[in-house]
This record gives sequence, C-alpha cells and structure tokens, in this order.
Amino acid sequence: MTLDPRSGSGRGAPSAPPALRVAGLRRTYGPIVALDGVELEVHVGEMLTLLGPSGCGKTTLLRLVAGLEPPDEGTVEIAGRRVAGPGASVPPERRNVGMVFQDHALFPHLTVADNVAYGIRRDPDRSVRVAELLELVSLHDAGSRMPHELSGGMQQRVAIARALAPRPDVILLDEPFSNLDAALRTQLRGDLREILRAAGATAVLVTHDQDEALTLGDRMGVMVRGRIEQIDVPEVIYSEPATPFVATFVGTANLVHANCEGGIGYTRFGPVRLINRPTPTGRASVVIRPEHLELTEEPDGPAAGDTWRIVRRRFAGSEILLEIEAGDGLRVWCEAGPQVRRLRIGDTVSVRLRDVATVAFAPGRGGASRKLDAAHGRPTGGLALSTEDDAEVVPAPSDVPGP
Amino acid sequence: MTTVVGRAMPGLGPRRFVRRLAPPWPLATIGLGVAVLSLLPISYLLLRAAGTDADALAFIARPRTLSIVVSSVLLGLLVGAGSVLVGLPIAWLTTRTNLPGRRAWAVLTVIPLAIPSYVTGFAFVAAFGPRGALQSLLEPLGVTRLPDIYGLPGAALVLILATYPYVVLAVRGSLMREDRSVEEAARTLGDGRMTAFRRVTLPLLAPAIGAGALLAVLYALSDFGAVSLLQFDSFSRAIYLQYRGTFDRSLAAVLALGLVVLTLAVTYGEARLRSRARHFAGTGPSRPVERVPLGRWHWPALGFMTVVVALALVVPAASIGFWLLRGLAQGEAFRDVGAAIAGSLGMGLVGAVLATAIALPVGLLLARHPSRLTTLVERSSYASFALPGIVVALALVFLTTSTVPFLYQTIILLAVAYAIRFLAHAFGPLRATLLRVGTRVEEAGRTLGDGPVRVFLGVTLPLLRPALLSGAALVFLAIVKELPMALILGPIGFETLATEIWGATSEGFYGRAAGPAALLLVMSAATVTLLLREERR
Repeated sequence: MTLDPRSGSGRGAPSAPPALRVAGLRRTYGPIVALDGVELEVHVGEMLTLLGPSGCGKTTLLRLVAGLEPPDEGTVEIAGRRVAGPGASVPPERRNVGMVFQDHALFPHLTVADNVAYGIRRDPDRSVRVAELLELVSLHDAGSRMPHELSGGMQQRVAIARALAPRPDVILLDEPFSNLDAALRTQLRGDLREILRAAGATAVLVTHDQDEALTLGDRMGVMVRGRIEQIDVPEVIYSEPATPFVATFVGTANLVHANCEGGIGYTRFGPVRLINRPTPTGRASVVIRPEHLELTEEPDGPAAGDTWRIVRRRFAGSEILLEIEAGDGLRVWCEAGPQVRRLRIGDTVSVRLRDVATVAFAPGRGGASRKLDAAHGRPTGGLALSTEDDAEVVPAPSDVPGP
Repeated sequence: MTTVVGRAMPGLGPRRFVRRLAPPWPLATIGLGVAVLSLLPISYLLLRAAGTDADALAFIARPRTLSIVVSSVLLGLLVGAGSVLVGLPIAWLTTRTNLPGRRAWAVLTVIPLAIPSYVTGFAFVAAFGPRGALQSLLEPLGVTRLPDIYGLPGAALVLILATYPYVVLAVRGSLMREDRSVEEAARTLGDGRMTAFRRVTLPLLAPAIGAGALLAVLYALSDFGAVSLLQFDSFSRAIYLQYRGTFDRSLAAVLALGLVVLTLAVTYGEARLRSRARHFAGTGPSRPVERVPLGRWHWPALGFMTVVVALALVVPAASIGFWLLRGLAQGEAFRDVGAAIAGSLGMGLVGAVLATAIALPVGLLLARHPSRLTTLVERSSYASFALPGIVVALALVFLTTSTVPFLYQTIILLAVAYAIRFLAHAFGPLRATLLRVGTRVEEAGRTLGDGPVRVFLGVTLPLLRPALLSGAALVFLAIVKELPMALILGPIGFETLATEIWGATSEGFYGRAAGPAALLLVMSAATVTLLLREERR
C-alpha cells in the first residue's frame, strides 16, 4: 500500500472534521458492560473495520452511532456535529448515517426500487438516483422485484444501495456477510469494497471474521470486552500487535518467554529484534508467528537447541501449520515449508528462528486477556504469562495467519 | 487468502419427508366418512335450493330480503371496523410501549373471547334494556327512558366487544414476530417514529389487521345469540324467525344460502390475507426491545384500556351479578337449572368423547398418510366449522326429516352433529403431536420386537394422551357454549345452559337467566384452566 490511510486519505481536506468521532462511549445493559469507554475517529472517505469476538460490543457501538440506542456516557460527533452526549441527543432520522443491518432488514412490502428510494422521497431526482445506485450494485434490472424474490447476496446489495441513497456522512455495516455462505462471501467482499469506493463513502464495518477485517479495512480496530484494544492499518495490527489479545486474535501467534534487553529479546530460539516502543526490559513474552520459524529436519541443525516432535498438523487453505512439542512439553505452531510431504506426526525436527522483528509484552499485560479467555471457555492457561512455562501457545480462533 | 469454512448444515439433519404410504383401509374409510358427513348439510342445502321454484325467486326479490342483506353487511362492516379501532391500539400498547401493567392488560383484554356472545348480549340487555338494571337503579331519580339498546347499535357494540380480541391476537403475534431492524432501517433513512410507523409498521401489519378484522366480520355474520337477543334482523335472526314462524321452511333455506355465500366470500378474503402475511413475517427481535415511552399519552392510554375492559368484562359481570342477587332474592335464579346443567354437561361429555374417538383415526390419517384424501378431510372439516351454526342446524333438519325422520330431534343426531362440527378442535392437537413426535419412536418399538398394535398401544397412545385430553376439552367447551344447534336440533324438553339463558332473556326474565349465565361462565373458566394447566405440563 502506497498511501498511509492513517493521515486521512480520500476526499477529505486535512483540516475537515472527521466523518465520525466517538469519545468515552459507554453503554451497559443491567450488569453487562457492552461498551466501556470507546474512542474512535474515522476520516472522510475511509473504510474502517472493527474486528472482535461475538459479544464484544461491536454491534452496540454501531447502534449508538446510528442513534438507535442512547449512550450512558460519552459523545458521538458526525461530520463535526455532536449528535449524542452532554447537550445533544439527535434522533436517528436526523443523523445522516446509513446503516446496513445484519439481516438486511429490507422492507418486505416494497419493491427493490422503492426500498432504495425510501430515504430520498423528497428528492426530485430520486428516480435518477435510484437507477444510478441500482447500476452501482449491478441490480439495474431488478428494480421492480420484491425482496423475498431475491437471493441473499442480492438482498444485501439492495440494503447497501438503500443506505447509500441519501448520501450519508458515514455508512455503518453490521456483519453484512454473516448471513451468506462462504463462497458468496468472498466474492461480495470484493464487490462491497468497489461499491463503497465508487460511491466515495465513509464506512465502518464490524465483523468477527478476521479475513474480512484485514482485507476490507483501510484501517482496522480490534475490539474486546467493550473496548478497542488497537486501531491501525491491518499490516501493523498483524506485525505490531499492541496487546497479547490482538496478537493471538489476529492470525496465529506463539507467545514465547524471553529476557529482553536493549531492544533484543533472547528466546530459546535465539535473539529477536523488538520493534514496539517502549521496549520492555527483563522477562517478557515475545510474539513469534508460525512463519517466523523455519523447520530444519536434522536434529543437529545450526541453531538447534532443542529437539521437537510433531504432534499435530493443521491445513489452513494455502499452507500447512505444524504444532511441535519440545522435550520439556512446550508446544508451538510453525509453518511446514516445502518438506511437509515427508513429515509425519511423531517425526522429530528442529526449528530455527528467521531474522525477524517482532513485539514483546511485559508480564502484566496479559491480565485482561486471560480473564477474557476464561469467559470464552478456553483454558485459562492460554495466556498465562507468569507461569514457569517457557512459552504458551494460543492458536487464533480462525485458522489462518494474516498476509 | 481464503478461509475454508465448512458450510453449516441447517437444522439438525437432512430434511425428513413424510413417507407417502397408502393409508390402511380402515383409516381411509373413516376419513372418507368424516368428509362426507362434514359436507352433507351444505350439499343438501345447495341441492334443495337448486330445486326451488318461482316463489323462492320472488322471495329473494322481496324488499325485506334485501333489507336483511343490507343489515347483515352493515353489521359486518361496523363490527370489522370497530374491532380494528379497539383491537389495534390494544395490541400496540401492550407490545410496544411502556404502558403500566401491560402484561395484565394483555390478559384482561382477550378474556372476552371465552364469553359466548349471547351471554354478553343478555348482560347488556339486562343492564341497559327497558327493564334493565340501570333503569331500575335510575328510576328513583326520575329517569324513565334510556337510549334504545336494541337494534344495530346494541348488536354492533356487543359483537365488537366479543370480536376485538381476534384483532388483538393477530396483530400482537405479528408485532412480536416482526423484525425490529426494519423499523430501525426506516429511522436511519430519515423517518421519525410516527412516519416510520405509518410507512413501514402499518403496511407490514396490514395483513394481520385484515385477517383479524375478517374473523370479526365472520363472527358477526354467523352470530345467532347476540343478534337475536338484541333483536337485530341480520341473516341469522331472519333465518330463525322464518324457520319458526312460517310453514314454508325452504324460504329459510334460501336465506341460509345467502348467509353461506356471504361467509364464504369473507373466508376466502381471510385466507388470501393470511398467505400474504407469510412474506412479511420476521423472525422476532434479536436484541432487547426498546419500548416507546408514552409520556403525556400515558393517561389517555390507560383510560382507553379501562373503558374497553369495563365494557367487555365489568359491565357483563356487574349485570350478571346484579340479576343473580335479585334472582336469588326472588328464589328464581337457579329454578329448573338442574335439567339445563345435565343437558350441557351430558351433551358436552358425549360430544367430546365421540369427537375424540373419531379424531384419533383422522389425526393418524392426516399426520401419517398425507394424500389428496387427507386434504379433502381437512378442508371439509374446517368448512363445516366455518359455516354458521344456524345454517348447519337448518340443513340437518331438512336432511333428517326427508331421509331419516326417526333421527329428527334426537339426542343422537345432536351429538353426532356436534362431534362432526367441532372435529377440527379434536384432531388439530393430535396431528400436531404426531408430526412433532415423528415415526422414529414407533420404529424403535418395532425393532425391539413389538408388533404394530402393541407399539401403538404402548408407545404412540401414551404420547398422544395430552393431545387427546386438550382436544376433548376444546370440543367440550365449544359444545357447552353452542346455542343455535341446541335450540333447533335438540329434542322437545331438552335444555342446556345456553338455551336457558337465551329463552329467559328473550322473555325478559333476567333474574332467571343470570343463574345459568354465571354457571356457564364458571364451567368454561374451569375448562380453560384445565386446558392451560395441561399445556404447561
């Protein structure tokens, strides 16, 4: 990527207010804290994706921005105008946001064209606009059909066209692909990006699918337990995760114990350069991605400190990951490489650390994520950085490491 | 980079198709018999009307016939519109707003469904009629005349109070199933709350409103009790008067056919609306529902609910109570009531047992051997239920007097007529249970070494027990509340609580009607409680 979306690419002049600014947003449902102080800025023309496990508050955030529910605390500003917070409570119909609902929520009693025209009934040129939008979403000949006659993918495109029609300041998409099957999802993902680009729309898309978040977002945020843990361009999220949760939720990560000093982490695999600032000193956990490890078959290989035994293999679309176990019981995931065909479970191998730069977390950082994991029913030891084990491994919920 | 995600199988497994086996001959015979018996009255009526002469044609053209048609249509329209005006706000207030006590209101406002129209009719006549309770209370104050309760206004009011729950139930169901994000989409597209209601919610509710209103219209057209007590000449009362008052009964048959045509048109419209509603049905709210704050509309809303409940429940209860006390004081509240209780209970029990016995094979046939025959059995059963009771009664009179006169005005005829007419009540729960249970458990029984009969007795029948009981209870309830068939088909001297209430009210003996009315309400309340308890198990 040549441009840096962090500086606000797209149509917006540098001095223009952000399309959306959210500050200190909090929302509770009885004892459940759905949003716990969310901070967010979306620039004009930008597409921001929010990734998080279910129940992390993503949908609630969108509903509060749209005005469908009031916040307990915090403010929402759309195009520089305060719409929620102290002294402001603008109802949804006067916020100029578009929303694409998870179930599309098309009006079942209206034709496709009438659905798209719904929000612009006072526009004298609405028929031109509707035709233009139907063209944009490649449904120009479906205008007179009823929603229940359409496939899921077509319904979704109608929902997008309908939300775009009033030229909203920001368009909110709530898991737009979750009701579609896998093959359709990949195709529509590309279409959606084209459509939103062509419309010059500012968009926030929430999803629990990391592929979606990584491929669609100019920037992406990772949400957990009502907070945004990190927000940045996708490649930075992957290569420089801010917290252990982000490291393990986006892609597969081994968290390996190390002693850190002077920007170098000394792991059992060898030293790695640390790029996060401030760099921790002393004991810390270093993020080692599977592709950081190179498999060597000879147990007496150059960097071989340990002998590893293959215990599990996982096919992940374009590559194969192997889980290997050291003599002391530590397990890590690594990429199999070209010799994979010859390897069997139970074989002995050694690994070598490639020359990589990564991040390390001081021991205290794991606390929040450990509690989270307990809440999700995974073994609590998953990120227990303070135990005496040399490293702990947590495969990501979705099986594929990022690009 | 693509994640390979296994496509989730919807549901629990491959869709199960009901095997289309030819039904065993005993089941098929019973099914065919039921269909024939269900369609017999109406077919006979049609045949008989087809054979009428010029007199009948002249009769149809008479101004009085025309005025009956106009009256009936007018009553139907008034009741349809009134039931929507009352029912729609109730449904919306109890599902979508922060109305205080909305759960209690939701229950209170549908109770009138359980009260027969002639009981409400009696209560209103006895309360507001010329020698009614209000009059006698106001007499000392010098009031000698009240506005007339008889005729169209009274009949329409009583029938609206009896039928608005149909609209409440239909609209509530639709509101609760509705996908709330559709309304939210309208809000994000620039509509305020009222505009979104008008542009989205109301159009989506239209089929439910229409279906509920048409049920109300159907009820109003078929109703005999309320219109006859309130002396309004719609079809039902005219048919009865024609039947009782003249020697030429075929003219009553002509009138009955007119009513059938009218009700068929309404039924057709109702079915059309229901199938349209299917496209609009959502899957229900996925998140907690934000209720509309009533604000300053709080008190008007409560006032509205209070007025409806007062008219539909409190007035009947107070009127019955007033006359019950007065009747007790004069010692006539429960005079001769023994025969009526015996008639109602006996006929209800016999009819329920008979209907359940017929429903068991019919339910098996419908659930296990779907075919063109089962469609016929089902449709004809519902058709006989949808026909106005007065029409069925009349048709049976013609049929028996001309073919099997020894059955005319016998208990047997009445019991069979009831069983056939209310059969759908009995096989409905049975079929639902059979479909839910499936054939797997029976097959398991067979693989464990039991023959088909043993499996049926040992496995299927015990599973069907709750459905058999609730079906029987529903039939019992329907028979106990039924009036026109008991009146016309019952043997001389045969009395039920319903005929007793009707007779006493017609003659102005309100004190004598109050006792049976109270007993009838107690009896149906007990049956409903039994049903609900069985449902909860």
